[in-house]
Amino acid sequence: MVAMRYDISQTTHYEYANNVALSSQLVRLSLVDRIGLKVIRQRIDVDPTPTTQRAFLDFFGNENLWLSFLEPHGALIIDTQAVVERDAPPPPDPRDTPAWEDVRAACAGNLDPGPDSPAHFLFPSRRVSLDPQITAYAARSFKAGRPVLEAVTELSNRIYTGFDYAPGVTDVASDPREAFDLRKGVCQDFAHVMIAGLRGLGLAAAYISGYLRTRPPPGKKRLQGADAMHAWVAVWCGDEHGWVEIDPTNARFAGNDHIPLAWGRDYVDVAPVKGVIRVSGAHTLKATVDVVELEPERPLVIPA
Amino acid sequence: MSALEQTLTGDARERAKLLDGYVPLADAYDELMDSGGKIRPHWQELVASFAALGTAELERRFATADRHLRDTGVFHRVYGSGEGERVWPLNHVPLVIDPVEWKALEAGIAQRAELMEALVADVYGPANLVRDGHLPAAVVAGSEDFLRPMVGIDPKGGYHLRVYAVDLGRGPDGNWWVLSDRTQAPSGMGYALENRIALSRSLPDIYRAMNVRRVAGFFQTLRDTLNQLHERENARVCLLTPGPLNETYFEHAYLSRYLGFLLVEGADLVVRDSRLAVRTVEGAQPADVIWRRVDSDFIDPLELNPGSRLGVPGLVEAVREGHATVVNSIGAGMLESRALMGFLPALCQHVLGEELALPNIATWWCGQERERGHVLENFDDLAIAPAFNASSLDIFDDGPVIAGDLARGDRKAVLDAIKRRSVDFVGQEVVRLSTTPVWTGKALEPRPCVVRAYAVRTPTGWSVMPGAFSRVSERLDARAVTMQSGGRAVDVWIPAEDDTPQTTLLTEPDEVQITRRAGTLPSRAADNLFWLGRYMERVEACLRLIRAVAQRLSDRDDLDNRLIARLRGALVGLGALKLEERQSLNSGDLVAALYDPKQFGTALSLARSARNAASGIRERLSPQAWRELTKLIAHLEKPLPPTATDGDIIDAADEALDGVAGFSGLSQENMNRLLGWRFLEMGRRMERAAATCSVVERFIRGEIVRGGLDVLLEFADSQISYRVRYATSAGRHAVLDMVVLDGNNPRSVAFQIGVIARTLAAMPIQQSDGLPTQEEKIAALLVAELATTAAADVDAATVGWVRMQVMKLSDLLTARFFVQGNVSVRG
Repeated sequence: MVAMRYDISQTTHYEYANNVALSSQLVRLSLVDRIGLKVIRQRIDVDPTPTTQRAFLDFFGNENLWLSFLEPHGALIIDTQAVVERDAPPPPDPRDTPAWEDVRAACAGNLDPGPDSPAHFLFPSRRVSLDPQITAYAARSFKAGRPVLEAVTELSNRIYTGFDYAPGVTDVASDPREAFDLRKGVCQDFAHVMIAGLRGLGLAAAYISGYLRTRPPPGKKRLQGADAMHAWVAVWCGDEHGWVEIDPTNARFAGNDHIPLAWGRDYVDVAPVKGVIRVSGAHTLKATVDVVELEPERPLVIPA
Repeated sequence: MSALEQTLTGDARERAKLLDGYVPLADAYDELMDSGGKIRPHWQELVASFAALGTAELERRFATADRHLRDTGVFHRVYGSGEGERVWPLNHVPLVIDPVEWKALEAGIAQRAELMEALVADVYGPANLVRDGHLPAAVVAGSEDFLRPMVGIDPKGGYHLRVYAVDLGRGPDGNWWVLSDRTQAPSGMGYALENRIALSRSLPDIYRAMNVRRVAGFFQTLRDTLNQLHERENARVCLLTPGPLNETYFEHAYLSRYLGFLLVEGADLVVRDSRLAVRTVEGAQPADVIWRRVDSDFIDPLELNPGSRLGVPGLVEAVREGHATVVNSIGAGMLESRALMGFLPALCQHVLGEELALPNIATWWCGQERERGHVLENFDDLAIAPAFNASSLDIFDDGPVIAGDLARGDRKAVLDAIKRRSVDFVGQEVVRLSTTPVWTGKALEPRPCVVRAYAVRTPTGWSVMPGAFSRVSERLDARAVTMQSGGRAVDVWIPAEDDTPQTTLLTEPDEVQITRRAGTLPSRAADNLFWLGRYMERVEACLRLIRAVAQRLSDRDDLDNRLIARLRGALVGLGALKLEERQSLNSGDLVAALYDPKQFGTALSLARSARNAASGIRERLSPQAWRELTKLIAHLEKPLPPTATDGDIIDAADEALDGVAGFSGLSQENMNRLLGWRFLEMGRRMERAAATCSVVERFIRGEIVRGGLDVLLEFADSQISYRVRYATSAGRHAVLDMVVLDGNNPRSVAFQIGVIARTLAAMPIQQSDGLPTQEEKIAALLVAELATTAAADVDAATVGWVRMQVMKLSDLLTARFFVQGNVSVRG
């Protein structure tokens, strides 16, 4: 596969009915270097200028920006602009992956305390509780001894064909069970349903938020969710293969069209803006995303 | 002759009666009796003393203890039972533990606490235990209290754990076992203290004779430990409570009062610029040490559970930046996982290089293949439990289950779940608890017990409370897992080994730094005090009105129907009666106005509202004031029959008024004239002014009906003054002068306004320009208006205007001191 270059811009715009006196915000909109992703340049502009701000990496390695506003303000605008290079590693051949039961045992016995350990993605999380019905749904793809990624791919395909992509039916705070019962939802819901099913079987599954290229390559169909932030799933396939990213909304492995922003156990861990405000009255949110493919730059050849 | 010999001779019959029905369970250890039926040596003095007192005297003594607990309001809130607050039942027989045995327990508890500290420090620090294979990552990651934002944050002062508790049970072989470790926010030590006070007061002679070790020294150590975590002089430790709805709220209020800590709820605290402060009526005051009784995950909605309404947004950031100390550290609760228990013996060897002195009940975490095999093979002999806090199976809603007791369907469901997600389960040995005597009213009987012991970290190591909080089950099933909730509390007595002098309950007086500072008054507490004042005053207004009506009704002959209609209107206006078509009034209506719990303005409902406001500030009320309030409500909860005569109603209202007067008197006499008192006073005065205006308005609007002025005098409790001053019967101008304008009559509107104006002037001013506040302007206007109005000019419009101004004052006060704006969390 050819490495891709993208220019990513996103605007997050909160408008408050009344002035906000005090506000603390945790912003997770910075891209960081990961396997298959290099951040060439990036800037984040915040208006109004926060009273204090501090950046730190959270447990899962996502960059968090802590913003604190002590002056009254009527709106908050966060503008992000980044150029990244994406060169996603190819997924393993599903038939070569270990039996899913072996992967399950390896999850339980894993001795990696770090953020990539499957142990962190094995248990219920804030948004994804273990649901016997979703587990039973997922279990139909997991016949005894089946290679884990084969079963996972089938589950992803079943969600793709069995669920309607329908914006507006669920919202950002919806429980996976809601989308499961309706067989409708958006990327966030499909990712949550798939994660719930995999964890219910004792496998480790992570939630990835990120972007999709907005314009499809010539002759290809535009991907679902390309005009907003996207979400997909990573499944741990044993020590040898590690994490494999798969997108149930588009029934495919996450490749160079997918640009990961943040990792976590579910949406709550990666919510792009999380805040506490002291205000009377409502607020509105507008967010726009644009991911433009750049001409690959000619590699710089350093003469010997 | 010793007490024991006496027992054997003179009191032999009493002793036999006492122990007649005492039959220890066949397969459990009994604390009191050995297997041969002999009283164990360390119990003999207690049994002998009980026998010497005799059943009747014991009953009398135990009633004293109960009264103490009821009067001081020791309660425990039962969730979802609709019962509200319930008095914690105390078993009157202490559990006596042999001092030599206790010494060994102390050492074991301290070692375990040390081990726990080492584990939590590693888990949130270098994580070597996992990396080096001593602990699977899932045992850490599976806990809902492993809070990832806390990884890498070193606790200020170097330690995660300052307070540690452990639940112990004694097996049939006489050895003590750990049932669970408590590192999150252990509860019960306040109850232990209260139980100790109640029991030592009812059995002072026995308590002294047995030279029971005092627990006060432990609480001093706890207080000193937390106070020393401060960076600033004179700062106060904040005890963070989930609030009055929490089942152990009494304990939070009690401990904060006893230890001199500031009781706060999440909404009382604010983080600005990574620094923590308490919102007070004097503005934000810095705070830096939090002793939390809120579970970690709920402590910061921004970085932890976004659904929490109990926490402080930004607290994690304040901790991360080193500006706040939270005890125990946020995330320390991960040590409570059952999954961890199976690893502790090996971890103790590895980490401390010692044998685990106080072992826990044998536990097998099913996430490991060999352990899972053991659990499945011995399934029916084991207890099965969720490995971590939550479980997806509702079979475990009440905690562990004994596999052998499961119905077939449930058994299969549990087995399937273990096979599917083995990481979620542990198997545990079923331990039979020891039994200890309870008093049945006639004799002693054995009941299974667990003991919760406490330790606090001092600069020189762990200090263990020489006493404990024990619970006995009401049922005879001695298997540990069946002991979930309910039961009775038991005080634990450790006789001193020698005659060492005991620590008294108070610090040496000269160690106390003299101060007259009021301390900090959180806005929420001020709000509650203000409403407590308002509600108590409203109770009084309601009672006085009912009394006045009953007086009129008992004198039916010269009753004007229009007067009846107005009286009814006044009761409806207060909310004591529902609005109805009919204009008549009978004694049944008055009984309803006193006791109807469903109508919001009856004497009973108002008194309960007062108690609700008071329950949010328990630590600020004297126990006597609380007792008066409790008595008042108890009185109003015993309604007169609907057939009661007017005379009965007058008596009942009078008795209730005595209670109100008792409460007001105590707050007048016993509360320091500091900020808190001012808010209470302000509430009372505003309510009295408004209520008087409202009744006056009703009786002078339009034509004055016969008897109306007498009602006013009576409502304002001014008949006697009136008769002293005027020889004639009630006249409009004279009555209005006395009830509205006379600044010397403590019941008049003008008097209330005067007090309000003076109290306002003494309030903390948050206005920097030095100009009078809007409240002060209104008060000045009211004072001037009432001083310059002649009685002849007072009409319904005048008093109506005064009432509106008072209400406006109340709103302004609320906006200035209490309202904090809404906090909204999103993300």
